[in-house]
Amino acid sequence: MTDDEEPGIDVDEYDDVWVFVEEHAGDVMPVSWELLEEGRKLAEKLGDELVALVIGEDVDEIAEEALARGADRVLVADDPVFEPYRADPYGEQFRAMVEEYKPSIALIGGTHTGRDFAGRVAVPAHAGLTADVTEIDVDDDGLLQARRPAFGGDVLATILCEDHRPQMATIRPGVFEAAEPTDEADGEIVEADVVVEEADCISEVLEREVGDTADITEAERIVAVGHGVEGDLEPARELAEALDAELAASRAAVDEGWIDGARQVGQTGKTVRPDLYVAVGISGAIQHLEGMNKSGTVIAINNDPNAPIFDHADYGIVGDLVEVCPDLADRLEGELQEVVQ
Amino acid sequence: MSWTIAVGVKQVPDDDEVGIDPDTGRLDRASAPAVMNPPDREALEAALTIRDQVGGEVIAVTMGPPNAKTVLEQAVAMGCDDAVLVTDRAFAGSDTWPTSLTLARTAEALEADVVVCGEETTDSSTGQVPPGIAAHNGWAQLTYVEGVDARPEEDRLAARRDVEGGHELVAAELPVVVAVAYGEFDPRPAGLHRKIYAENDFEPTQWTAEDLEIKEEVGLDVSPTSVGGMETVDPVDRKGEVVDETDDLAEVLTEVSA
Ligand SMILES: Cc1cc2nc3c(=O)[nH]c(=O)nc-3n(C[C@H](O)[C@H](O)[C@H](O)COP(=O)(O)OP(=O)(O)OC[C@H]3O[C@@H](n4cnc5c(N)ncnc54)[C@H](O)[C@@H]3O)c2cc1C
Ligand SMILES: Nc1ncnc2c1ncn2[C@@H]1O[C@H](COP(=O)(O)O)[C@@H](O)[C@H]1O
Repeated sequence: MTDDEEPGIDVDEYDDVWVFVEEHAGDVMPVSWELLEEGRKLAEKLGDELVALVIGEDVDEIAEEALARGADRVLVADDPVFEPYRADPYGEQFRAMVEEYKPSIALIGGTHTGRDFAGRVAVPAHAGLTADVTEIDVDDDGLLQARRPAFGGDVLATILCEDHRPQMATIRPGVFEAAEPTDEADGEIVEADVVVEEADCISEVLEREVGDTADITEAERIVAVGHGVEGDLEPARELAEALDAELAASRAAVDEGWIDGARQVGQTGKTVRPDLYVAVGISGAIQHLEGMNKSGTVIAINNDPNAPIFDHADYGIVGDLVEVCPDLADRLEGELQEVVQ
Repeated sequence: MSWTIAVGVKQVPDDDEVGIDPDTGRLDRASAPAVMNPPDREALEAALTIRDQVGGEVIAVTMGPPNAKTVLEQAVAMGCDDAVLVTDRAFAGSDTWPTSLTLARTAEALEADVVVCGEETTDSSTGQVPPGIAAHNGWAQLTYVEGVDARPEEDRLAARRDVEGGHELVAAELPVVVAVAYGEFDPRPAGLHRKIYAENDFEPTQWTAEDLEIKEEVGLDVSPTSVGGMETVDPVDRKGEVVDETDDLAEVLTEVSA
């Protein structure tokens, strides 16, 4: 920055690590607690406080839970204008709180809502925002190092934000372990001034339907379906039952409406790390691989011997999933029974 | 009633054509041919759908090097009425903050009622630019949109959004920035006449940073983020064994599940 430009900010005025607690009608997204745990580590290294940001309506219980899960302080903006989530009131509220409290770091879950929110608030704050982060740390100067896969996961890029605050990142769900609640919560809850009014809002939620809220990130075994299942989940479901596995999917299967988006694995879905990942009728696009690479053993079932997924699997079988899945399920039912007993 | 609908389209390396560098064994994006960001083809479809609903004009916009003109030609071939190439050396090194500022000023200059974008680009994949445009202009935003319903009598655009564990229908006042969910809008094919026109006779309007009066507000210097380093990631080591019989696979599965 040169001197004749608008004066840069004094980065030393900014401290504390903020975690945005994303809630929908009282339900907190699991990624928020994952960030609280990671945020704790950063705050300890920096000697800063860990602050949970809770925006919504009637969120007392969530604020208490954030304390129990390790926040030193919870900043609460409680008002009907914040339920359900809308970008414009949340954005305006966040901007005002950043101005007042000056956080150094702000972590936000990389959900649809989180990315919608982060993109909006980073602009008025002139904050540095890194998307889809999978590793975070602070360097010796206390600068946030936000790492994210680039070039199809071939490279891990470290993104820095040296002269602006807060240093913001959206973080992919499922990458970190969640903070567990403890009994020794001794932090404080602070009510923030609510700066927005319904009359100023430029959007209106007309309808809201809640769908599948499955959390596939904790599953130990996963059977994932792709476009190859052509709308019939039955063979894969049979296999999943035999393996006692959760059902997940590629984006192509989600886009077709065959399965809910909560179960999508990949760059724009979730990162999973089961012991066993069975890819059924999935080609193995880079965006999909990014979400499943942390799995233990990977098995591929695909009728195209040249499908890239075979290069990213430990074991594969070339065959029609309609035959392979039930056949496998039958055999397993016998054998697994013995193992379990 | 008619709306002015701007669409953000970006030129990116073709993911399907990204070769492997023989020396490093890694993906070599630099040599891949440039194409339109696939999600932006769907943004164009959504924009044309809105035009079908209310009438008006669809104007494709790209901020990029002069050769990004080709993606604008493709947009015009698909049915856009006009296109703007925003190009200037001053933009070099811009992250999403100045990029969204540039597109926001362009949308203002066009007096856009709606700006339609893709979900994210395949080369930078942030999805931050559409909310950024909306924030710079203080406009409404609708992201992860799966369906659009123009309501000119209310001066609003309603959209079905894909949100965590469900869907919502949201109406936003104009002007509004829309980012469409990838995989939901099937792009219409380009008509032959339109294609010939786009390739031979059409010239996009060109704007510079100066034209938009943002010369001091773009580029590397105002970008809050910078790349601190790149580490190559070793590909996950997989056995890559293909078995012939379901029995063999059942055996593996039993072992792993035990
Ligand atoms: C910005 C962006 C973000 C994205 N994010 C994600 C993401 O988060 N997650 C994700 O998964 N994708 C993502 N994608 C999409 C990704 O690029 C691929 O298009 C997608 O993963 C393909 O899904 P698929 O493998 O199920 O379908 P396809 O690629 O169509 O593959 C289907 C496979 O099924 C096989 N098959 C067909 N019939 C049978 C049968 N009877 N028996 C056995 N096999 C059969 C075929 O041989 C083929 O290999 C993203 C794309 C973009 C541009
Ligand atoms: N340079 C650009 N020119 C025009 N539109 C862009 C540009 N960069 C991003 N966009 C739009 O913003 C969307 C999201 O991009 P990104 O935030 O880079 O992932 C894209 O799908 C485009 O519609």
